[in-house]
Amino acid sequence: MSASRLLLACWAALAALSVCTVLLAQVGATWLLSLAILSVAVGKAWLITEGFMELRHAPRLWRVLMLSWALVLAVLVGLSVL
Amino acid sequence: MWFFILAELSVFAILILTFAVTQVLKPQMFSESRLLLNTSTGLAMTLSLITAGLFAALAQEQVRRSQPRHGAVFLLLALLAASLYVVLKVTEYRHLLASGLGMEHNTFFTLYWILTGFHFLHVLLGMFILGWLAARCRRGLYGADNHSGFESGVLYWHMVDLIWVVLFPLVYVLN
Repeated sequence: MSASRLLLACWAALAALSVCTVLLAQVGATWLLSLAILSVAVGKAWLITEGFMELRHAPRLWRVLMLSWALVLAVLVGLSVL
Repeated sequence: MWFFILAELSVFAILILTFAVTQVLKPQMFSESRLLLNTSTGLAMTLSLITAGLFAALAQEQVRRSQPRHGAVFLLLALLAASLYVVLKVTEYRHLLASGLGMEHNTFFTLYWILTGFHFLHVLLGMFILGWLAARCRRGLYGADNHSGFESGVLYWHMVDLIWVVLFPLVYVLN
């Protein structure tokens, strides 16, 4: 896949996941749905760091640090809505 | 640049966690106040920011192919998409202020204004950087062998996107 097509695929996935976030919220307000919404947010953060920021080519430490940022935040926010 | 980005992300992490912890202390207030925000507007802001991110990344591809003028066009498209975010955000701010939902209305809105306002300032700075990069691209100052400064500027914009994708569900959606 060319670099431009990969970027377009990332963008399409980000847009679809953003719509998915809103649809999930309209289904209801349970803990499980909150968990799903936070998981979608982590997925979007991963698409931005790996796709747009090209961390897939970066040293492992930077990848882990950047991906951990969204993951740790989502886990802490998730615990707060338990 | 990566150290700077990590420092920025740490500051936002503190603000986001403050919002989440306060939500635990005042769940009803946060739930009721969140209903006063328009989720569709939040979604439109998200789409405009990620679209700007796409155009910025495509601009980077053009610069790597030594086509900086094509890159400048993509950067202008990125600025256009980012401008939509600015219009939506300013409209939302004006609507909230007209409804008496300013910073002092309650704790939710205090944190809402701090968190989104701080992010908004980053968006404006990001737009300034994209505009500056576009001007330099037009003059042909970037190319396949000279684009590290360009990449740093584009990375800053992606950081702004990254922060928003976590902010959006927390502020507008989660209940």
